[in-house]
Amino acid sequence: MSQGREILSRLLSSEVKGDLLVLFHKNPGLVDTMDGVARRIGRRANSIEADAKDLVDLGVLKTKRIGESEVILLDRARDKEIQEITSNYIKSLKTGGGV
Amino acid sequence: MRMARIKTGIPELDEMLGGGFMPGDAVMVAGSAGTGKTTLALQYLVNGITQFGDRGIYVTFEQLPDQIYRDAKNFGWDLRRMEEENKLRLVCTSPNLLLEAEGEYLLDEPIKEIQPRRIVIDSMSHLAMFVKERELRKEAYRLIMYLKTKGLSSLLTWEASEMVGRSLSVTGVGLSFLVDCIVLLRFVEIESSMRKALLVSKMRGSDHDKRLREFEITSQGIKVGAPFSEYEGVITGAPRRSITEEAARAWAKAFTGKT
Repeated sequence: MSQGREILSRLLSSEVKGDLLVLFHKNPGLVDTMDGVARRIGRRANSIEADAKDLVDLGVLKTKRIGESEVILLDRARDKEIQEITSNYIKSLKTGGGV
Repeated sequence: MRMARIKTGIPELDEMLGGGFMPGDAVMVAGSAGTGKTTLALQYLVNGITQFGDRGIYVTFEQLPDQIYRDAKNFGWDLRRMEEENKLRLVCTSPNLLLEAEGEYLLDEPIKEIQPRRIVIDSMSHLAMFVKERELRKEAYRLIMYLKTKGLSSLLTWEASEMVGRSLSVTGVGLSFLVDCIVLLRFVEIESSMRKALLVSKMRGSDHDKRLREFEITSQGIKVGAPFSEYEGVITGAPRRSITEEAARAWAKAFTGKT
């Protein structure tokens, strides 16, 4: 399985991930706690935690410590790389290769 | 030698400020909802980038950046492109995170990334909701001093709902003395229509225009017009036409038959 396919399938594996991706792509300067991020998509922290952590593992999001709080934010550089990988994968599908 | 000023890029406002804000100053823009605080704040950053080569950071607690990008586009300001060019950072966060004092500060990273000269905090009144009133001045002082230490010229907005009518209180919680300059925006009712007025009410270390000026929010942003010279009592919310010499003569003639 290509890297592009694996990343894409992880990115699109749940509705919460989709909501988080849309939120952070529309608002790349968002820096907030799990609770704050959850509130901004109308959910509770415990319902987004696992998906947010998977996006951190993938590298789209990153975490850091601000005082006593852990915050989540978009990893702009890694996100660009991932977008390139997935877009190349989609292009390769259209041209009939890479699956 | 005169110190170079931080121009807002709004010519009439810069003229009122004696050339612009003083570098490194903390400026408060106060006004009730809808008076144009966010527009003025964005214009200060956008003009800084496009006219003076000053990069900037915009910190928002209330609106998501997505909404700010959209609203800015209506004025012809492409904030997304400015961000891509590393001239601007829009930081959207919770007020309590901005006040965290231990370890890395929330703004350290964007400051390091784009080396800004200007910053907007929109709004301090939202931040005040997260701090006990007796702590607020101390926390606001700490934030302002952090921004000054980083060499930033800051513009802090304050929603002052009570600034209608005769009340002249700006923040009601004693923040006015912490900032170096205060620009008041307010609605005034004149001859049955709601107009907007702007006043520079405080500017440390510099002379400034003390007159109240009318302003409009146009498709290009804020445009400051002429002083309300024909009216008095505008700032207290009870404007009345000033009696001109000509009118006084006409009154005198009507009552006494003499001029």
